[in-house]
Amino acid sequence: MFLVSMAVFMIVESSPGNVAKNILGAFITPEQEASFLKQQGFDKPLTSRYISWFTGSDWVAEMKIGHPLKRITTEKGYQEWWVESENGNLLQWNLKGEDLFVTILEQNGNIKEVIDNDRWQKDKKGISHFWGVSNKNSAVKWEKGSAKETWNYVYGRGWGKTTGGPVEYIPLKKGFLRGDPGISLRTGRPVAKSLFVRLRNSLVLAGIAFVIVMPLALILGIIAGLKEGSLQDRILSITGMSFSVIPEFATGIFLILIMSTWLDLVPGATVFGEKAPWERPDMLILPVLTLTLIELGYVLRITRASMAEVMRSAYIRTAYLKGLPSFKVIFVHAVRNALIAPITVIMLHVNWLMGGIVIVEVVFGYPGLGQYLLDSALYKDINAIEAGTMIMVMIAVGTQLIADILYTFLNPRIRYS
Amino acid sequence: MSKKKKAFDSIKNGLNILFASKTAVIGLVIVLFWVFVALFAPYVTGYGPMEQDWMNPNKGPSMAHPLGTDELGRDLWSRLVYGARIVLIVLPVTEDIWLPGGTAVIGVLVSLLIGATLGLIAGYRGGWADEIIMRFLDAMMSIPIILLYLIIVAAIGASAVNIVFAIAIVGAPGVARLVRSLTLDIKTRDYVRAAETRGEDIFFIIFREILPNAKGPIIIDSMLRIGYAIFAMGTLGFLGLGLPPPSPDWGSMVAKGREFIMSGSPWASLWPSVAIASLVVGLNLLADGLREELSRYQ
Repeated sequence: MFLVSMAVFMIVESSPGNVAKNILGAFITPEQEASFLKQQGFDKPLTSRYISWFTGSDWVAEMKIGHPLKRITTEKGYQEWWVESENGNLLQWNLKGEDLFVTILEQNGNIKEVIDNDRWQKDKKGISHFWGVSNKNSAVKWEKGSAKETWNYVYGRGWGKTTGGPVEYIPLKKGFLRGDPGISLRTGRPVAKSLFVRLRNSLVLAGIAFVIVMPLALILGIIAGLKEGSLQDRILSITGMSFSVIPEFATGIFLILIMSTWLDLVPGATVFGEKAPWERPDMLILPVLTLTLIELGYVLRITRASMAEVMRSAYIRTAYLKGLPSFKVIFVHAVRNALIAPITVIMLHVNWLMGGIVIVEVVFGYPGLGQYLLDSALYKDINAIEAGTMIMVMIAVGTQLIADILYTFLNPRIRYS
Repeated sequence: MSKKKKAFDSIKNGLNILFASKTAVIGLVIVLFWVFVALFAPYVTGYGPMEQDWMNPNKGPSMAHPLGTDELGRDLWSRLVYGARIVLIVLPVTEDIWLPGGTAVIGVLVSLLIGATLGLIAGYRGGWADEIIMRFLDAMMSIPIILLYLIIVAAIGASAVNIVFAIAIVGAPGVARLVRSLTLDIKTRDYVRAAETRGEDIFFIIFREILPNAKGPIIIDSMLRIGYAIFAMGTLGFLGLGLPPPSPDWGSMVAKGREFIMSGSPWASLWPSVAIASLVVGLNLLADGLREELSRYQ
């Protein structure tokens, strides 16, 4: 799990230069790019970026500032970081020329701004500096008199150049471990919140498909496996195989063409407002059907193989020979043993299922986690990609763990050393 | 002479196995069809893949355009054929440099190279080498495959070479696992013991003694893998991470054509979907049939 998080992080963060170009456009100057990278903390080495992404950066900043930090959420859903002073007021600073201004948010909601030049500290070389929290959610270090130019990008307003900007930045976040993977570079809002909604939508879609697929595939698999090599077996397994290997988007397109364009039965795309996904249940039909077809083939194949193997075994022959009616042989003796393998394999297959969900969501425009990940990937919103990927990996690893446990439980002959 | 005869025999043997299975033959026919049209692309179509007939955009099949045209009036059949070329026959490195071997095929070959080496070392050496390699590969494998493709291509950008790179990274852990399990089995055989006693070095043993004896399952596995790679290429193209336009990339064609389904011209998205589906199904039928026959043969 730890390794996975490192691998994901390394792949995603391998080219921050591209990130800046992608988000800010191809026409930024090198100075602008450098400023942006510095403000986002991308100029730091990979390891320290990884640590602050995984465990948060607020504790590092707290040590530098010497006061506890507090995160508040504004009415519009944006997050702001403030320093909490001894009397409970919240503080942020900014630098205008040579003077340090402090913005004080009092407990009763009043905001006032005053000059706060007493905070400057002199270091050995005689340069005045100060660690504080800026109004851009970073812990920053200001230096008095350093006429360093920085470029600031303001969403919706473009670039502005200021002098006397901070010399060091620590973008504040609580870290993935504590449920805060950072701010989305695309929307400026916290990733965790939008991720949660998307995850719920995806789980609804996957859950419905799962409930339909499981019994159907198991039953068809048992039918196919009963008589290996018969006509019904051939038809079922070849159709199943075809559905499971055809790319999801192709299946989706076929279904849209047949069901929606030619037969005009169900809507061919999903358009949801706030109350997704329950608003228009008929819009769920095609995505679920696509997922069902894809998964059906796979589960069917496994069940068939397992069933066929059981039917060849000696105790089934014995059961037949001692004169038991065949439905009893099949249901009491064969099916019970044949289902052990498929159930665990299905759990392992969740990995694939999630890949399928990504595509199905894109085909039908369903507002799920997969769509969110694709949008983030195209935009190079790396905080969102990392968080989304980690969530998916966690689900996959979790189900694999459950599958292992279930397997030892169902089949006591297996013991892991 | 005898060597020639031996080679001939082994080919004949292989063909016998192949033709014994109906499934494999059907698969082979489908795959060969695509290889054929891709090889002779300029001869099976009268149009270039980027040639525009701007008088007839988004038309259905007709005499002039057997499968219809896309939104810019480009002939769909010729785009399909040249798309097959990119998948199976040539790898476009830049606009002018083309390497033989399709994008999917080369991707799988590279993943075979990396995966087989890792698997052989892990399986033969055992111990800490095995531990480290397999832990790392397990970590890679627990990331859902499409997602892995997505983040790799999103991070390094979309081009044919990068897609080869992505296919190789994604495929290597699976190959390594397979090769490792085969190696664990083969390394207990007598001829490996004999080579060890002769004092051969490790590279000779793993590449000359073990690898040739593991080739059957590896070949079948790589057929399936080419199928997956085509699948993945299509998917990436569909997600907008395929070869940059105007290349005739099947997945991108579907994605573009999808916008015109509702306005009554489904052809541009239908045909590439059919093409990908048939090619992947063909490869799977071929591999399945071969595997079934091989297991019976043994």
